[in-house]
Amino acid sequence: MEFPIGLYIALASALFGIGAIGFLLRRNALIQLMSIELMLNAVNVALVAFNRVHPNTQAGQVFAFFVIAIAAAEAAVGLAIVISLFRLKKTVDTDSADELRN
Amino acid sequence: MSELLYERALLWIILLPLLAAILNGLLGRFADKDIVSALGVGSVAGSFLLALICFAHLFTGMGATEAGAQIATSVAHGNAYEWFHISLPTLGGGTHEVSIQVRFLMDALSGLMTLVVTGVGLVIHIYSLGYMKDDPGYARFFAYLNLFLASMLILVLGSSLPIMFVGWEGVGLCSYLLIGFWYQTPAFAAAGKKAFIANRIGDFGVIIGMFILVSVAGSFEFAEINSAAPEMVQPFYMGTWQMGTLATAAALFLFLGCTGKSAQIPLYVWLPDAMAGPTPVSALIHAATMVTAGVYLTCRLSPVFLQSPVAMTVIAIVGSMTALVAASIAVAQHEMKKILAYSTVSQLGFMFAAVGVGAFSAGFYHVFTHAFFKACLFLSAGSVMHAVGSHSDADIFKLGGLRKIMPRTHAAFLLASLSIAGFPLFAGFFSKDEILLGAAELAYAPQPFSANWVGWFVLIVLGIAATLTAFYMFRMYFLAFWGDYRSAGEPAAGDHHAYDPKPHESPDTMTWPLIILAGGAALAGLLSLPHEWHLTNWWAGWMSHSIASVHVVAAHVAEGAEAVEGAEHAETMVPYLTAMAFGLTAVFVGIGGAYKLYFNRSDDRFRDAMPRGLYQLMADKWRVDALYERAILGPIAGLATFVGWIDKTFVDSLLTWIPSQAAMFSGFLATRIQNGRVHAYGAVMVAGLAVTAWFFVTPHPDVEVEAEGATARFEAASGMGYAYRWDFESDGTWDAPAQEHGEGFGAERSPSHEYAYAAVTERVLLIAQANGEDERLVLSEEPQTLPTSILPAGWMEDPTADATPPSVRLEHGDVIMRRNSAALGTPQVPITQEELHLGVGDRLIIGRPGTDRTSIMVRGLVEATVEIENAFGNRAHERVEVLLNVPPDRAEPDAQARLTTQATSQGEVLR
Repeated sequence: MEFPIGLYIALASALFGIGAIGFLLRRNALIQLMSIELMLNAVNVALVAFNRVHPNTQAGQVFAFFVIAIAAAEAAVGLAIVISLFRLKKTVDTDSADELRN
Repeated sequence: MSELLYERALLWIILLPLLAAILNGLLGRFADKDIVSALGVGSVAGSFLLALICFAHLFTGMGATEAGAQIATSVAHGNAYEWFHISLPTLGGGTHEVSIQVRFLMDALSGLMTLVVTGVGLVIHIYSLGYMKDDPGYARFFAYLNLFLASMLILVLGSSLPIMFVGWEGVGLCSYLLIGFWYQTPAFAAAGKKAFIANRIGDFGVIIGMFILVSVAGSFEFAEINSAAPEMVQPFYMGTWQMGTLATAAALFLFLGCTGKSAQIPLYVWLPDAMAGPTPVSALIHAATMVTAGVYLTCRLSPVFLQSPVAMTVIAIVGSMTALVAASIAVAQHEMKKILAYSTVSQLGFMFAAVGVGAFSAGFYHVFTHAFFKACLFLSAGSVMHAVGSHSDADIFKLGGLRKIMPRTHAAFLLASLSIAGFPLFAGFFSKDEILLGAAELAYAPQPFSANWVGWFVLIVLGIAATLTAFYMFRMYFLAFWGDYRSAGEPAAGDHHAYDPKPHESPDTMTWPLIILAGGAALAGLLSLPHEWHLTNWWAGWMSHSIASVHVVAAHVAEGAEAVEGAEHAETMVPYLTAMAFGLTAVFVGIGGAYKLYFNRSDDRFRDAMPRGLYQLMADKWRVDALYERAILGPIAGLATFVGWIDKTFVDSLLTWIPSQAAMFSGFLATRIQNGRVHAYGAVMVAGLAVTAWFFVTPHPDVEVEAEGATARFEAASGMGYAYRWDFESDGTWDAPAQEHGEGFGAERSPSHEYAYAAVTERVLLIAQANGEDERLVLSEEPQTLPTSILPAGWMEDPTADATPPSVRLEHGDVIMRRNSAALGTPQVPITQEELHLGVGDRLIIGRPGTDRTSIMVRGLVEATVEIENAFGNRAHERVEVLLNVPPDRAEPDAQARLTTQATSQGEVLR
């Protein structure tokens, strides 16, 4: 059976919103990284859904693959930063990363 | 040797000390002391040797041509180059290309000066080896000293004013550096600054004088300036005020420079303070060479000075007064170097007095002899200071009996003292006698010669000054070298003037230079033999190659035809005998007085013999320093305090503090964002995304309209998934169907529509305004009066009568305008009717011809509406006004509204 495009967009928006709220509200760097991943994958869902509506170039799916690749790189860099932060501060609380303040 | 080799040699005279200065200055402090000494002294010795070779060449070839032999570097041989060239306006109104070449020239005058500079320089360099032996700034000292020599040689050998000026400034700089050589002592550093500033004041005069000269001569070369000297009798205008002749202005400005460099009244005050420098510096720079640069310059440009009797008189008076004032100060001083410093100022005054009475050759002869005896005296003073262990100066009342302890120094000092006092057959006797002779010739010059008084004035003043010279020299000699050594006792604790109780003779490196210089001081006078009237002596004959040979008497009456005749009459014995009488009286009275008062005595009997106040004035240097302090420095300091106060209160508070607070506050605000919290950054990012999202979700029509006649062209902005529909008349029916515009990205505008209107909804009156924005009046059946505020100033037909502005109304679709008191018309023709029928597109001019006028226009107004729907299904309306300047019914009689669409990119009609 075929779902209308609106449902996919609603799903993507819901996922993105959860990710954004998580990113803004949580202080744990690992949780924030996971929130970012959530937002990226919400975008992927939307891209694939749009691709189904306009399938002639498959641009949506190709774009989704790029997003996945970027997300992998981002996760690697992000985790490295988290480890560095932990070594420096003995915590992964992002509020502790305030060396540039003042 | 060929000429080319002599040119090379001439260059290397300058380059050797320059290279040594650079090497010692940059690398000297890392090098061994012996290497520094070898470089410093060796380069000067080489320079002296080359100077001797060049001079010998000059000497053998001197009689060859009328102008005398000379060695000049030339561009053609690659030994000179063009520094720069400038385009100067000439007095005639045209322009003149002046090339300034770095060229050097050695002739009779500069050749002798070069010998003095390098010769005395060499002796003093050798002396410095001993004197500066233990100084931590050894390499620095030799670098400065060599740089000074190079600058002095550039000054002397430069063949044009700008090159000379490079040397002139260079010696000033080195003088500053060497006076302040022990800069850790604030007083010494201040003395350096004082010298530099006094010199700068003079240098300003040299620059002005240089420009005046080049404006006449069209060249900076000395030779060309001197040959152009006769043209300089033209009047000189400063603005509209005539300031004597060009020669007077140039000579006086140059002389201002000389008063700075050669320490004449009023700028002499720096020279006594300059004794803060090491003693060899005092001997070389502030006695033998640099301070005589002013005399050298006047001799160089003697034809120019001779053109101006006014300037010559000024120089003669200033010179002789300087000689007298400085000598009177010297008799009341206690320190050896102080006395010698004032003695130098005094002797420089003698030289300028000589120049002023026209005896250039005599003046320069005194430069030559003075270099020997004054350098010798300074070095002897240095030797004494070295012996008694004093660093700053030696008080003659604490010395005594040095004759037995320091026999060599004593002998040298005695010879040099006899020479400067003018004892017969010593060098100073001959040169001083020449000067007095120059003054006496002027004094005895026959009528109608009007400047006799100048000669008498100079003769008498110099006679007194010479007496004082002999007196203060032998006062110093008797007090320092005779009697018993007065500091033999144990020095009191904490007495910084304590002298070594057991003085000793200085080392050979210091005494040999003394002996050489003393020899010069004794024998240099032989150059002016035969010292007799009617026979040209060797010196004068030699100098005549370089220095203007115009007789002084002829110079002072250059305008009169009797000049030559008068000059011949002056050749009698009277002036010679007068000069000799003055000179001999001065020596014997001076020395005799000193012997009577001070021989084998230790107290200051001269002071006791003088009126108390007068002596105190002389000891206080006539309080000239205090006068300058009060009259010049005080007001300047006051002004500086005032300006500083303005800077602090006005600039720092109003102009600096307020903007700085504003910047700090905005910075404070900006740092609130940069608070270091990752979440705050995230929130800003999300907010930014939200704004961007809103922009994409909401359509933005942004319509542009272009009206031409009854047709208007419409375009709206394009965007992602935009679809448009148009209602060009805003009457509720869509004239153009909804249409999707392409992909959105790339195309800037929507497809454009051209719509030809068949009817207008409103009529408006536009009144042109000065700012380019037309004032708009929407017309109705009700009559409206045009407000006077938007009408041009001269709108009334009759400015004197009561004015009613025109009114306008609509009647059956026609525009009716009542003229009332306004002046109306087409651009060419005035309109006299009271009421006018106007249609859309008509244009009128309001205002009287010859006054401010402006145009009024009737336009048709319609409104168009566009509606946009984007990919998200959001819609936006925009309503735009269209002003048509041709009524649709007039454009085409049976008009029907018509739409033309031009798609700029592929469009897709949805409905």
